[in-house]
This record gives sequence, C-alpha cells and structure tokens, in this order.
Amino acid sequence: MPDDIKALLQEIADFSVTNASELENFRLEFISKNGKVQSMFKKMGSIPKEEKAAFGKSMNDLKNAAQSRFEELKAQFDTGSTNNKTALDDITLSAPTLPVGSLHPLTQTLEEMKKIFYRLGFTISDGPEIEDDFHNFTALNFPPNHPARDEQDTFFVRKSDDPAVGDLVLRTHTSPVQIRLMEKQKPPIRAIMPGRVYRNEAVSAKSYFLFHQVEALYIDKNVSVADLKETLITFAKLMFGNDVKYRLRPGFFPFTEPSLEMDIWWEANGKGRWLEILGSGMVDPNVLIASGVDPEEYTGFAWGMGVERIAIVRHEIDDIRTFYENDIRFLEQFN
Amino acid sequence: MNLSHNWLQEYIDLDLSIEDLTEKLTLIGLEVEGVEEFGSKLEGVIVGKVLETIQHPNADRLKVCQVDLGTETVQIVCGAKNVAAGQKVPVATVGSTLPIKLDDGSLLTLRKAKLRGEESHGMICAADELGLGSDHSGILVLDENLEVGTPISEVFDMYQDTIIEIAITPNRPDATCHLGVARDLSAALNLPLKKPAVSEITQTSKADDYSITIESKNCHRYVGKLIRNIKIEESPEWLQNKLKAIGLRPVNNIVDITNYVMYELGQPLHAFDFDNFKTANITVKEFDKEVEFETLDHLKRKCAPGTLFICDGETPVAIAGIMGGLHSEVSDKTTNILLESAYFDPGTIRKTAKLQTLQTDASYRFERGIDPNMQAVAAQRAADLIMEICGGEAQDGVLDVHPIKTNSRTLTLRMSYLNRLLGTSFDVAQTIQILEGLELKLISQTTDTVTYEIPTFRPDLEREVDLIEEVGRLYDYNKIESPNHGIYVSTEPLTDWELLVSLIREMGVQLACREIYTNSLISEKEALNFVSKEQIIETLNPLNKDMSMMRPTLAHGFLKAASYNFNRSAQNIRFFEVGNVFERSEQSTFHEGIKEETHVLFGLSGLKQIEHWSSKPIAYSIFDLKALVESFFTKLGILQSVAVELLDDNTLQYSFKKTILGTVSEISSSLKKVYDIDHNVFVAEFNINAIQKVQKNRPAFKFTPVPKFPAFEFDFAVVVNQDVDAGSMMKVIKNKAGNTLKNIDIFDVYEGKSIGEGSKSIAFRLNFIDPNKTLNVKDVEPIIQRVLKTLEKQFSAKLRS
Repeated sequence: MPDDIKALLQEIADFSVTNASELENFRLEFISKNGKVQSMFKKMGSIPKEEKAAFGKSMNDLKNAAQSRFEELKAQFDTGSTNNKTALDDITLSAPTLPVGSLHPLTQTLEEMKKIFYRLGFTISDGPEIEDDFHNFTALNFPPNHPARDEQDTFFVRKSDDPAVGDLVLRTHTSPVQIRLMEKQKPPIRAIMPGRVYRNEAVSAKSYFLFHQVEALYIDKNVSVADLKETLITFAKLMFGNDVKYRLRPGFFPFTEPSLEMDIWWEANGKGRWLEILGSGMVDPNVLIASGVDPEEYTGFAWGMGVERIAIVRHEIDDIRTFYENDIRFLEQFN
Repeated sequence: MNLSHNWLQEYIDLDLSIEDLTEKLTLIGLEVEGVEEFGSKLEGVIVGKVLETIQHPNADRLKVCQVDLGTETVQIVCGAKNVAAGQKVPVATVGSTLPIKLDDGSLLTLRKAKLRGEESHGMICAADELGLGSDHSGILVLDENLEVGTPISEVFDMYQDTIIEIAITPNRPDATCHLGVARDLSAALNLPLKKPAVSEITQTSKADDYSITIESKNCHRYVGKLIRNIKIEESPEWLQNKLKAIGLRPVNNIVDITNYVMYELGQPLHAFDFDNFKTANITVKEFDKEVEFETLDHLKRKCAPGTLFICDGETPVAIAGIMGGLHSEVSDKTTNILLESAYFDPGTIRKTAKLQTLQTDASYRFERGIDPNMQAVAAQRAADLIMEICGGEAQDGVLDVHPIKTNSRTLTLRMSYLNRLLGTSFDVAQTIQILEGLELKLISQTTDTVTYEIPTFRPDLEREVDLIEEVGRLYDYNKIESPNHGIYVSTEPLTDWELLVSLIREMGVQLACREIYTNSLISEKEALNFVSKEQIIETLNPLNKDMSMMRPTLAHGFLKAASYNFNRSAQNIRFFEVGNVFERSEQSTFHEGIKEETHVLFGLSGLKQIEHWSSKPIAYSIFDLKALVESFFTKLGILQSVAVELLDDNTLQYSFKKTILGTVSEISSSLKKVYDIDHNVFVAEFNINAIQKVQKNRPAFKFTPVPKFPAFEFDFAVVVNQDVDAGSMMKVIKNKAGNTLKNIDIFDVYEGKSIGEGSKSIAFRLNFIDPNKTLNVKDVEPIIQRVLKTLEKQFSAKLRS
C-alpha cells in the first residue's frame, strides 16, 4: 500500500469528533466530492499499469474505511454517548412520583395478630359498636351497681328504666361479640373478634376515648388454663420473638374465672420493665349460661388486648392521638 | 393501696427481699404498681462543729464556714442567718443523700461545689431538709454536748419504711388492709399469720346513754361504742409515722386510730362527738326527699332521695359509709365520742359515691363489700387503742344492732372440675395444702371432693370456680405445665365477611391510597352537614359537644384529615378508610331503630401531579376517582353489573340491580368552605354490607376462553343537545348493540360553533367480538343502524358526518 494512502488511513482513524459540526467537517474533509479520498482517486492516472490493480484495491479499502469511520462517529451521537444531547435527555433528572398506598399502622399490627391466630386455626367474627346492656355488661357477668362497671367508663346512647327496653351503650370492649357468637353457634368455637371500642375517658397522650381491641375465644369440651397458657405463650413468641420473656399473674375480669394477665419484659433505651400486654381467663360459667352453653359440658378461654397498646410498644410511639390525626408524614412511615 | 412493709411484718415474718416480695405479691394477684422509700437513715449526715464563719466575699447572704467533722475540717458555704461559730450542727457530707425530692423524682445527693467562687464540701442542714418536721427558718442547732462525727441517725429516731403500692381488683375487698394482705402472703408462702390481739368483746342490744335504730335494709349491721373522758391530742409518734408512711395525714389521736384500724382490719370506722348529739337516738335511714348536708370537707351537698344517712333522731349527721358531717366532727374540745362500726350495702354506697363524685377510703371499702362479721371486733380494737392512747372509759361491750346476718357459705370443690379447668392433676391433699392459710374452714373431704366453709371476709368466693381461681393463683399459673396434647386440629374457615373486608383494605393499598382511622364521634354541627337531625344518633354523656354524635358517614373524617394535611403543606391527598357509620333508621341492623353499617371511603384531593419538569401541575378530577372506583369494582368482580346513575350534577350513584352500593361525588364549594379546603375534593363512599349482599349472589367464577377471532372496532359521533348526558347514551348503546359488543368508550367530546349553539358532539368507539367468526363491516353495520335509530328517538341524536 502506498504511503500516502497509509497516511490518510491513519488520519481517518485518528480523527475524533465531539459534536455534529465536527462530524460535518469529517464528511467534508474525507468523504465529499472534493474531499481527500476523492482527490486520491485522481492519482490513478499517474500510477503505472502493473500497480493499478493493487492501488485500486487500496483505494477501495480507504473509501470503505472513511465511510465506516463516518458511520461510527455518527453512531456516537445517535446513542447519545457524546455531549450532543438535549437537557431533557438527562436520565438523572428526577422522576415524577407515583402515589404509594399503605395500611394504617393499627391495621398493620392487627393484621400481624390476625395472621398468628389464623395459624392457630382461629376464625374471625364481629359485632356492632352500639351495643345493648345485656351483651356489653349483664351477659358478661357485670352485676348492676358493681364496681367493675366503673372501670369501664361508658358512653350511653339510650338509658332506660324500663327493664324490657335495655340501655344502649357504645361497647366498652369487644367481649360482647363473644356472647353474640355463642348465641348463634354451638361449640366448638374458636374465633377472634377485633374492633373499635369506646371509653368515656379524658383525652391525653396515654388515653383516647376510642381504641381497638382484639378478643379471642375458644370453647370446647376440655379447654383448660394449661391450653390458655400454651396459646398465650405461642402468641407472645410469634408476636414479639422466640426469646420473649413473659410472666402470667392473676387478674380480675367479671367475665372470666380464673382470670390471668400476661406481662412481657420490654426493654427500651436500656431500661427494662414488665409490660402488661393482655388480659385473659377461663370463660366464667355465668357467661356460658347467659349465652346458652352448658358449663358442665364445655369450658373455654377468652383473652383480649389493645391494638394501640401493642402498636405503641412496637413502634415506640409516644402519643396515642397520633393514630387518629392521619398526618401523611406519620402515615408514610408505615409503608 | 399503699402497703407499709414495716406494718405488714407485724402480722407475718417475711424473710424476703423487697424485690422478691413485690414479685410474689404480683404473682398472687396483688399487682405492685410502685415501690417507694419512706424516710431516710441519713447516712453520711453527721454532727459537726462550726469553728468559724466569715462573710462570703462575693455574696451578702452567704457565709463561709470552717466545720470540724471529727476526722477532718472542711469548708462549707452556708446561707442560714443563724449559723455561728461554736454551734454543733447536722452536716450532710459530700456523697450523702437527703430526703429532698428533685424535679425528676430522685433524691438530692450532695457533691463538692463552688458557690460564687468559694468551695463548699457539704451542707449544714435545716430540720426540714433532714425530714425532721417542717422547720426551714434556719439550720438545726444541736445539743452542744454531742460528739463531733456522731451519725445523725443516732441523735434522732429516724423512721424508715418501704411503701409498696398495690392495685386491688374489685373482687378482693379482703386485701384492702394490711392484715388481709398478710393473710394472702401467709397462704402463698406457708408462713404463720399473727393477728393483732383484741380484748374480749361482749355484745349487748341496749345501752344506757344512746340507742341505735336501723330503718333501712341497706344497713345490715351497726355497732356503737361510747367512750367518755378521752383527751384529744396529737397521736404518738409511732402512730403518726405509720400513717404518714402510707400517705395519710395525721389529724388527732381519735381520727388517727380510726384510720389505723381501717388500714389494719379493713373496717371503716367513724367517731362522732357524742356531746353534739341532741337526742342520741342513732337512726340509719333514707329520706324520700332531697337533703342538703354539709360534710367534713366543708361542702354543702345536695343528696338525692334515697341517700342513706346516719341521723341523730331525724337530723342527718353523716352520709352512711362515705363521709361524716361537719357538725358532729371530733374537735380539740371533744371529750366523749361514739364510735361507729357498720356494714352498708355495697351497691347503695357505690351509687351515692358516684352521685356525689366522692370516693373516700371508707366508700372504697364499703362498695367492694367488707367483712360483715368484722364490726364488733374493729370497734373493740379501736376502743382498746383509744383507751391506751387517749385515756377515757368505754362502755361495757358494744351495742350491736344486726338485723341482716350474713351466713357463711359452704363450697364443695371437685377435683375433676378443678383439674379439667386448670389442666392440672391435683389430688385432694395437694389442694388442701395449696389453700392452707386462706382461713377457709375444712368441713369434709372425699377422694374427689373437698368442702369448705368460706369466711365472710371473702365475698368473692361464691362458686366452685372461684375456689379454683384460688388454687390457680396460689399455686402460680407460671408453674402449670403445657398440655401434652395438640389442641389445634380442625381449622375454622374464615368468614366471607372477613375475606371481603380484608380484600377491600388490600385494594385500598393497591389503588395507591393511604389508610386513615378517623374519629367516630363528631359534633352535631358536623353531622348535620351530611344528614338531618332525626337521623343522628347522639351519646347521652359525651366528653364534650365536639364529640357527641355517632358519625353518619366516613366523609366527615376524610374532609377533616384532608384539611389537616393541607394545613401542613400536603399537596396530594389520596386516602381510604374502612369503618362503621350510624344512623337512626327503620332499617335496623342490630338494635331497634338503629342502622349500623360498615363503609369504605376513597377520597382524592389536591394535585395528582405536583409541579414537575415533565409536567405542569395536574389537579385531581372526578374522572380520577371514577377510574379508581371502576378498578375497585373490577377487583370485586362486579363491574359489569354495576349501574351508574346521575343523582345530581355532582353525584353519581352506583347500584347493583336494586341494591344501592354508594356514591361518587365532588364536594360542593359550600361544604369545602366548612372544612377550609381550597382544592377540589372527590369522595366515593360505598356500603360494604350492600357489596357483600350482591357478591353473595354472584355465580361462581368460571373462565371464558380467550377469543380466537379479532375484534372489530367501529367509531361514530353523534350531535346531541347539551343537556343529554353521555352516561344515558352509553346505557342505550349497550342495551341495543347486543351481545357481540364487548366494550364501549368515548374518545372525543366536542362543542363549538361548527355544530351549532347548545349542541355537543360525542364520539363513541365500539368493540365487537364474535367467538365463532371474524366480524366485518357487514355484520356490524346493521347493529350501528339500530343503535343510531334508538339514539335519535330517545335523545334526538344526529349522526355527525
């Protein structure tokens, strides 16, 4: 290959461009009619005959090389790998946001509890928030004028002196659903009853006049405290981790006898303390009788806990009112 | 209740650390809520001698003192005026702790300090700073003969105690006193109980100087004891210390003794100044009219008819079981007192205490039900103490009027039931052993049963099951072993309702909405924005007027939440909520006249696209919500059968056959103003109970083969009058087009001069599919003609060429 062609090949290979006008310069310099490649063809006349074939081949390679180099350089712009792009071609620009949906933190905690109970074979049941005195108190073994009624400050919807027309209240616990379930279903019964309950209490960071409970009920022929205990421990382990430290202690609820409460050992900020997480017990024979179940034939356990209480502990929330403000900046922490 | 550790130990020899004791109390059902130290041994506080005092160079009120502590002489800066050289004084040395509470609840511990540039190694103390009374006028100057370096605890008798606060459940009136708690501990720990000695009691039914008449069935027993010639004084120190430690303020010896006996035996007592009685005919009765009565706390109280009173003849002198009257109060001048020890009906006392919003130590015990056989013992115990402390002469025996007697109950406990309920395998001997110490009287036993007479101080032990609880709690539930059988075998299926509500919540998330929980108690004014007054359900005893009505809709809560967030610079509101709503209605759900149903709400407001380089800000429109709602019904599998009807310009009603499911609407500007929202607001609210009803009747899902032949698309536009709505036309098209029509949509809406004033053009795109063949224009043409004819007939629609 003649040296001048070689030199030109090298020149083409070394040519680099950074923008479209430089690319145009390349085309003008090498490929256009008056470009260097065409000019080289003009030398053909002065080439000796016997070398013409070889020269022609070299010229052809040169022409192809110029063309493919041009395509190559052009491709650089087409794939945007050089600076020649618009401002909107910048893929580091921010993307518009898509809205994200989420369950409320209380639903999230409730769902976790539900999942555990489902694994234990429980179903779910519910009842009204406006409840009659019979289901909310009397059937649950709260005698009239008993101090236990004071522990649940009650909102009344209807007060009646006529015994045929009972009081109506905003349910103070989800326990009335137990009664409703036992009234309509024969044992065995195994169900949880989540729902909103109301207490006529002053609002503070620690207490709100409405909150949510989950109640569990298991009625069958030989249900015992040992079974209750086993279930509570299983729940605590699944909810708070296998190494959870717990204790059971006697409590008092009118609708269970014996009654037990469960504490777990909770450590936060380097300080540990016993934290009450739930109340439970063996369903009181009076409750079974009020619901049409024979206490000599069946026994059962019931337990209840506050969803807010558990959510507050898990997420270290310092004010119960936060749950009902629905501030997006709060909600979006719980995706 | 506050328990004194010292006091408790008078009845039981406890060999337990405070930690173990509180754990034990909690585990037998007397939950410990707090432990506090009372008093201080004042370790590190010693006698010092002031050697010299010089004026502080930088502070007029301070003196710099050199104090000899025996082992060393230290410099202490002191602010007291009375400090002087030569005095013997109490010195709190560096590192000692004084019974002075700081803001964070901890006690003051002394450290080396610099006061205005002068070093100070400790503090010269005033009496109050040592917990020795209330004197803060200056430092406490001690006897000059005391040796320097002597610990202050050797100079003064420092009373020290540990106070344990326990929560007493309503079923345990027996544990409202130290003896009762000691009894429980004696049973749990197998330790002997030492009861206080009471001198022999003689009961009479007549007294010379006074009489007792019970005219109410709500007073079961009234015991009186008259003591003459007593001397009212401050109580002796031991008694004051005991009361102070549990948080009671000492008053005088008589009042203090009645309180002491109450905290010892659980029996509330009252002492009347006998000389203030006019007739001395004590009568326990109710009045059938309202009575005004001034109680000890100087309040003139209006007492409802039926309130139980203690009367002097006909004149009330105390509200029974709650508080005495001002007039018959024991004063400094009292010399003769009448002690009352009674049993009142718990319900009666509770009712009055609630009406008067007055809970006293006495009412707290009476309303739980005290021991109906304790009255004479407590009266005698108090009399013994009074004569020992206050002098005087007591009447012989006690005057005991006891119209309603409480007999002891007998309970039989079957081992079979006990073990079935607890999941244990106790035999009779073990059971008796566990219950030992509760003072149950063993009547008889067989191989499977044990029968007890229940003492009257345990009114909670009414049934066999109550005894089982005693076994459980004294044995310790933590010790009951796991069942050796698997208990969960047959799983209960989930209900359709639960599956539906869960699905709806899940859909809320899938539709990119955030779930909110709003208040279900709202104000009347707020409720009236949505329903009429007759429909609202109100609570009779609301916390306040803003939270008095049950929400009739979820819309209010959403609007409030939207407004709350807009006020905090939120731009894109996209919420959902599932909750119950309430309304007075003939269509009762659970209770006559009340409809309670579960709704789901979807709400959009603000900008769906905030300002961004890729787009201008885009506000939500009603069509965003309609699209969301259609996805919702698609997911529920009922979209095809849901009919939409225009209720008014801003509201669409969705129904399934005849069942109304709910509405989609744009909130009116007047309502937006109420909630202070400037953005457009769109709300969809559906009744989940109604959705469940229509879902139930849905045939089971079966798949349809994917069409083998392509769809045929046909576009046409019609010109109609402005007031014809597109929805109605689509309904007609659907009806007329037959079953090859698979889809219908609107791809253009136009109004303008070219089609004439008052008219608009709507362009429809129809999709036809036949499962058996490829459709062509010849197949579709007749259908379109049919459709156009009907559109023309019903809406005067003209085909736009």
